[in-house]
Amino acid sequence: MSWEKELEEKVSREKLSENLGGKDRIKKQHDAGLYTIRERIDILTDKSSFNEVGKLAGHAIYNENNDLIDFKGSNFIFGKAKIDGRNIIVGGDDFTLRGGSADASIKEKHLKCEQMALSLQLPLIRIVEGSGGGGSVKTIETSGRANVPEVEGWNLVVESMGTIPRVALGLGSVAGLGAAHLACSHYSVMVKEKSAVFVAGPPVVEQIGQKLSKNELGGYEIQLKSGAVDDAVDTEEEAFEAAKKFLSYLPNSVYQLSDQIISKDDPKRTSEWLIEAIPKNIKAIYKIRPIIEDLVDKGSFFEIGKKYGKSIVTGFCRLNGWPIALMASDPYSYGGCWTSDTCKKVQKFVDLAETFHLPVIYLVDCPGFQVGLDAEKKGTIKEGVRAMSAIWQTTTPWMSIIMRNCFGVAGAAHKRGSSYISRFAWPSARWGSLPLEGGIEAAYRSDIENADDPKLELQKITTRLNKLRSPIRSAESFLIEEIIDPRHTRRIMCEFADLSAPLRKIGITNRTMRP
Amino acid sequence: MIYAEVSGTISEILVTSDQIVEKETDLLIIECMKMLIPVTTKNKGKIINIYVKENDIINEGDKLIEMKYDI
Repeated sequence: MSWEKELEEKVSREKLSENLGGKDRIKKQHDAGLYTIRERIDILTDKSSFNEVGKLAGHAIYNENNDLIDFKGSNFIFGKAKIDGRNIIVGGDDFTLRGGSADASIKEKHLKCEQMALSLQLPLIRIVEGSGGGGSVKTIETSGRANVPEVEGWNLVVESMGTIPRVALGLGSVAGLGAAHLACSHYSVMVKEKSAVFVAGPPVVEQIGQKLSKNELGGYEIQLKSGAVDDAVDTEEEAFEAAKKFLSYLPNSVYQLSDQIISKDDPKRTSEWLIEAIPKNIKAIYKIRPIIEDLVDKGSFFEIGKKYGKSIVTGFCRLNGWPIALMASDPYSYGGCWTSDTCKKVQKFVDLAETFHLPVIYLVDCPGFQVGLDAEKKGTIKEGVRAMSAIWQTTTPWMSIIMRNCFGVAGAAHKRGSSYISRFAWPSARWGSLPLEGGIEAAYRSDIENADDPKLELQKITTRLNKLRSPIRSAESFLIEEIIDPRHTRRIMCEFADLSAPLRKIGITNRTMRP
Repeated sequence: MIYAEVSGTISEILVTSDQIVEKETDLLIIECMKMLIPVTTKNKGKIINIYVKENDIINEGDKLIEMKYDI
């Protein structure tokens, strides 16, 4: 007596499950230049590391004798796997079965996937295509009633935002609940020309008079600029690599700390060119990314959200092998002024660093908030104070290096007022409540207007004030702690990373982050 | 098509129609938040149309220059 026969039935059903939506559907998927969900998991994860959960769950058809005629697996596949030798949970939609919609789904699988990642305190990678288990109009017919909308298990999603790293990859057309899963992550990626993300797709949108292609409605250029998705790459393979790279800087959960890796880059390396990296002409701008690349461990900078809120560059890097969350102003976008989108980007990034205990370094060149009618219409000041509050609420070690401009309320957000930060300035630094240019006309209006020669008066005041605004004069009053040689900045940043490492504290933050 | 990534005033136009420009060439300068921000071409190409003139006030997303790259 043995149980071989029962085991054979299990194995044969599992094989049926591997057929996904059938040959024709798989061909259609391949013809569109897309992998199936099983192929995706196979490419993403370490060889033979995927342990699927619930492979037998699906929709079976039986004859009158209760013998199995056909079986199709559920259109959501998940389990434990490894990437680069590290345990993770991966779950993904099978688009070949009813486009990933609820009709062919077993919702408990989605819930179990979320529960598993949260309970085992492991990073979760969700591969999203289609409606991500959301309903379609056809659901009414298959279930015989309309459902009152609810997203069961969203509490798990919210809780995991404050507990484990969540990465979401949108690898085709993604709508409704699928789009929600993509947006509700710490890092999301689309594939250019293949992915489109929207609340509702073109046929629905046409009903409100907008005739748009998938790409025009929710292509990567739309969604990266809107901030709904962080990054876009050319191929699915690159999306998997991006997910791995992102996770490499983070611990498995907030109950652990990221590890130091061996860095071959000398922490004391100096960079001669940085002494002239900031132009003397205050109206001239410079490229920030070469400066970042030079300061961090070689090749370690991983930018997040390049197309969104562009006045701030955000990303992870390593310094002397320690993972660091790095923000830097980019003068190419509004001179580095914080726009409404920039403020939202800062909120999310600072929360991300705080959640996973990454020390923050901010390279500052911020002339203030964006001003003008556009800025007012977009609620810049409201988003600005939210960004400031996010910074003030951090407890993770923080360093700011003022490279050039630091003005106004947005400039003040280079530090939290609540506790110690390490702060330095380059000799090119300039600061104040308002930049002199334009500020003088406002503050000295009557003096200028009543002068015999207003132009000359303006010039005289400018010369007078320029002498006073040297950063050395501020250092005299200890308004700035240290002015450093830009060439030695890397050494100072690496020292900060070394000093910060033992200060990092595990645990869940008081206010867990929202997506 | 090259669109404005920031709003501001066209400070200077550095190219003319039909001109061939190398990649990384500055095409025009936008004055924005008191800073001079160059608009640069990523690729080599020919200037087909210039939609703005100096001192024009522009908004983010406005058309600036049309280029042809397969020359």
